[in-house]
Amino acid sequence: MIAVQRSRIDVARVVDGVRRDDAGAVVVFLGSVRADAGVRALDYEMYVPMAEKALAALVEGAKSKFEVLEMSIVHRVGRVPVGEDSVVIACSAAHRGAAFAACSWAMDEVKRIVPIWKTESSAMPRRAPSRRNRRA
Amino acid sequence: MRQRLIRAAAIGTEAMQVRVRLFATYREIAGEGALPWTLPDGARLRQLVAALVGTYPRLAAHADTMLLAVNLNYASPDVVLHDGDEVALMPPVSGGRM
Repeated sequence: MIAVQRSRIDVARVVDGVRRDDAGAVVVFLGSVRADAGVRALDYEMYVPMAEKALAALVEGAKSKFEVLEMSIVHRVGRVPVGEDSVVIACSAAHRGAAFAACSWAMDEVKRIVPIWKTESSAMPRRAPSRRNRRA
Repeated sequence: MRQRLIRAAAIGTEAMQVRVRLFATYREIAGEGALPWTLPDGARLRQLVAALVGTYPRLAAHADTMLLAVNLNYASPDVVLHDGDEVALMPPVSGGRM
């Protein structure tokens, strides 16, 4: 599953999306907004169609490079307040080694090639829409 | 006359239009995130970038680190553009420490 959304990420749902009976390991990475001095939120800007394409290619890359069964990546766009997750990567494999390696590689690739830019915001975060998953 | 027209097309006097997308700092410099741009037929991506830098001189400071994409794929400045292409000029991706 690949998704770009303005609303909070439901981590359990992302994890459940990669579970399989033949998977002995599920690794999940959460990238969260850190409370650096003066920072109350990060604003994420994204070239959405290119980002979605790059994320899908990245999942295929993880499957061919590692012994990965399933991988999901969900990324927030717009304003994300301190303490919330801006990205969630979940990965399943028969054994933990491949799942850890693939998850770590995928996050590095997200930072390297996916067209996403963040700016720090000291403004009070606006409440993100809770039900609608709006595309940017 | 007909032959002259064909030659004119061959040397690139016909025009094409592309859609330019700008992100983050570049969008702020241009004041717009999307704009149509007319180029001579057969123009390369580097010509478009040069034209944009000419119009928005503050982009010049970013020329060395600019990422370029055509139709959602990263592209080299040498690539030849076609009518209707979507071209993106992007600052380096955010990164962050490991």
